[in-house]
Amino acid sequence: MNRKHLGAIIVLALAVVLASLAATSKAATKRQAKTDTIVLYASGDVNVQSLWQQYIIPGFEKKNKNIKVKFIFSEHGVQDTTTLARIGAAVKQRKWPGIDLVDAGLVTTLATDGLTQPVTKATAPNIKNVDQKLLTPVKGAAIPYRGSSVVLAYDSKNVPTPPKSLGALLAWIKAHPGKFTYNSPNSGGSGYSFAETVVDSFIPANVLRQMQTGYFPNLESNWKQGLDLLHSLNQYVYQGVYPNGNAAVLDLLGKGQIWVAPVWSDQSLTALKTGQLPPSVHLTQIANPSFTGGAAYLGVPKSARHKVDVYKFVDYVLSPAAQTQIINVMSGFPAIPLKLMPKAIQNKFADVSANSLRPTYAQKQQSDFKAQWQQNVP
Amino acid sequence: MVLPPVAVIAVFIGFPIVAAIAYTLGRAGGPNSVVASLGQRQFIVQHGVTLDAYRDILGNKTIHRDLWATVWVTVLATLVVVVVSWAIALYLRFSNTRLARIVSGLSVVPLFIPVVIASYAMLVFYSSDGFMRSVAYHLGWHSFPTLGYTLWCVFLAEVWVNIPFGVLMMSSGLNGVPDNLIEAARDSGAGMPRVVRSILLPMTIIPTVIVGTFTAIYVLGSFTVPYLTGPTAPNLLGPSMTNFFSAFNQPQQAEVLAIVVFVLALGIGAVYVWANVRTGKRSAVAP
Repeated sequence: MNRKHLGAIIVLALAVVLASLAATSKAATKRQAKTDTIVLYASGDVNVQSLWQQYIIPGFEKKNKNIKVKFIFSEHGVQDTTTLARIGAAVKQRKWPGIDLVDAGLVTTLATDGLTQPVTKATAPNIKNVDQKLLTPVKGAAIPYRGSSVVLAYDSKNVPTPPKSLGALLAWIKAHPGKFTYNSPNSGGSGYSFAETVVDSFIPANVLRQMQTGYFPNLESNWKQGLDLLHSLNQYVYQGVYPNGNAAVLDLLGKGQIWVAPVWSDQSLTALKTGQLPPSVHLTQIANPSFTGGAAYLGVPKSARHKVDVYKFVDYVLSPAAQTQIINVMSGFPAIPLKLMPKAIQNKFADVSANSLRPTYAQKQQSDFKAQWQQNVP
Repeated sequence: MVLPPVAVIAVFIGFPIVAAIAYTLGRAGGPNSVVASLGQRQFIVQHGVTLDAYRDILGNKTIHRDLWATVWVTVLATLVVVVVSWAIALYLRFSNTRLARIVSGLSVVPLFIPVVIASYAMLVFYSSDGFMRSVAYHLGWHSFPTLGYTLWCVFLAEVWVNIPFGVLMMSSGLNGVPDNLIEAARDSGAGMPRVVRSILLPMTIIPTVIVGTFTAIYVLGSFTVPYLTGPTAPNLLGPSMTNFFSAFNQPQQAEVLAIVVFVLALGIGAVYVWANVRTGKRSAVAP
C-alpha cells in the first residue's frame, strides 16, 4: 500500500468517526431533554456496593424510566476524606459537587456542618415514616435508610456458650490465646466498634454523650484506661495481628483460625448465606456495654442538582419494597416501622430495631480515636 | 521547544510540591485552604512559618518505630535484590544451557503479576496454614515460623517484586562487557572470582548502582506490599502515611511524612547522580 492510499484511508476513517460522534451527541441531547442523571456516591464494603448496584438502582430505574442513577463506589471509604473536601468546597461556592446523594460515614459530618439539605425540605412522602429520634444526631439534615450493628460472631463448634457481656468476653479472650482478633479500627467499622466499646466501658455516661454529638479533644484523656487494656490484649490476639478490613476477619473466622470476633451483623449474615462462613458460626450481642451500631444515612448536598429526582430516589429507598430488599440482601435493619413491612420480616426483627442500637462517636472524634489506638495499642 | 514540557512539570508537579511544603510549615492559605478547613490537629500560623507539625511527627514514638522498620526493610531488600540479581545475571552471562534459559524466563515472571495479587499470594503462602508451613511440617520441621503479617513477609515480597528489574538491568550490563576482555583475563590465568572482581564489577558500576538506588526508592515508597502483608505496627511509612491522611484525618502530618520519605529518597538519588558523574568524568579523561 502506498502513502497516498494510506492518507485517504485515514481521512475517511476520521470523517466516519466525526460523523458518528456528531450523530450520537445529537441523539444524546435529544434524550437529555427527558432523562435526568443523578449521581450517587457510596462507600463501604462490597455488600454495600452490591446492594445499590444490583438491587436498588435497577429497581428504581425500571420504575422511573426518565431518571438514570450514576453510581460511584469507594471501597472501604478510602476516598471519603477527599470526597468530603470536594463537597465542602463546592457547597461553599454554591457549585455542583458532582455528587447528588451520599451514602457514607461522612454524611454525618456533612449534616452537622450544615452542608446537606434539611429533611424538612425533602419532597419524599416516605420520609415521614422514619423514626424521628434518628434525626437528632445529624441535626435533621440526613435521612436514615437502614440500620446495622456490630455483633459478636462465634464458632459454636468450639465455643458452646458464648460470652454474654464485655467483661465475660475479655475473660474469654485471655483464657483462649490466639482465638480472637479484630480488624484495625482505621480499616473497618467492626474492629473499630470493639475498640470503642472497650474504651467506652470506662467513660461516664455524660462524657460519652458529648463525644457522640460533637468534637471535644480535651475529653480524650478519658480513653487512657481503655487503651491500656486493649494494649494488654496484644499477647492474646491471633498472631498479635489486627488484620486490615472487616472482610479479613470474616476470612479468618471462616477458615477456623479464630473462634470469636466482632463483625457487622449485615456483612456476616450475608457471609453465612453465601457460605463464606460455615453454618456453625452464630451471632450474638453482648451487654454492658453493647457493641455500637446505628443507622446509615443518606445526605443530599445543598448544591446538588435535580433535587426532585433525588428525593424520588430517596422515597423509593424508603419504600417497603426496597427496605425488604435491604433486609434480604444485606441483612440490614429496616429504617421504617416494622408494621409497614411484610409479615415474615416483622417476625424476623421481633425485638431489634435500628434506633435501639448504641450510637458511636462523632466523625472527628472517631478520627482521633483511630490515631490514638494506632499509637498506643499494637 | 523546551518550554512546554518544563511548564507542564512546573504546573502539575512543581506547584503542588511547593503548596504541600508550605502547608507542612503551617501556611493554610490559597491552594491549601480546602484541606485545612477539614483536617484535624493542624499547626497553622498566619505569618512566618512553624516547624510544629514536624515536631509532632518526629516526636511520635510510633513513627520512630515505623521509620526504623522502613529503613531496615529497605536496606535488607536492596542488598538481597542486588546480590541475587547479580548472581542470576552472571549465571545467564556464562551459561547457554536450556536450564539457563528457563531461569532467565522465570526470573522476569514477577514483572507480569500485579503487586496486589503477589502480596496476597505471599500472605497465603506464609500464613499459619500456608504452603510453606505445611511442607515444613511434613518434612518433620514442626515449628516453622509463621511469616504472614510480619516484616519478614514484607521483605520477602519486596524482593520478589523487585527481582525482575534487577535481573534485566544486570543482564544487559554484563552482556555489555566484551568477550575478548574476559578471554584475555582468562588467558593470563585469572579465575572466575578474579574476572568478576577486576573486570565485570568495575565495568558494571552504573547498572549496579541503578538496581540498588531504584530498588531502594521503590521499597521506601511502597504501599500495597506492606499494607497487605505487614504487621499492624510497626509497618513501613507508606501505610502509615495513608492512615494519617484518611483514617486519622491529619493531612498535615501525612504530608510531613511524605517529605520525610522524599528526603530519604533524595539521599539515595544523590548516590545515583554521583555514580553517573564519576563514570562520565572517567570516560571523558580516558577516551
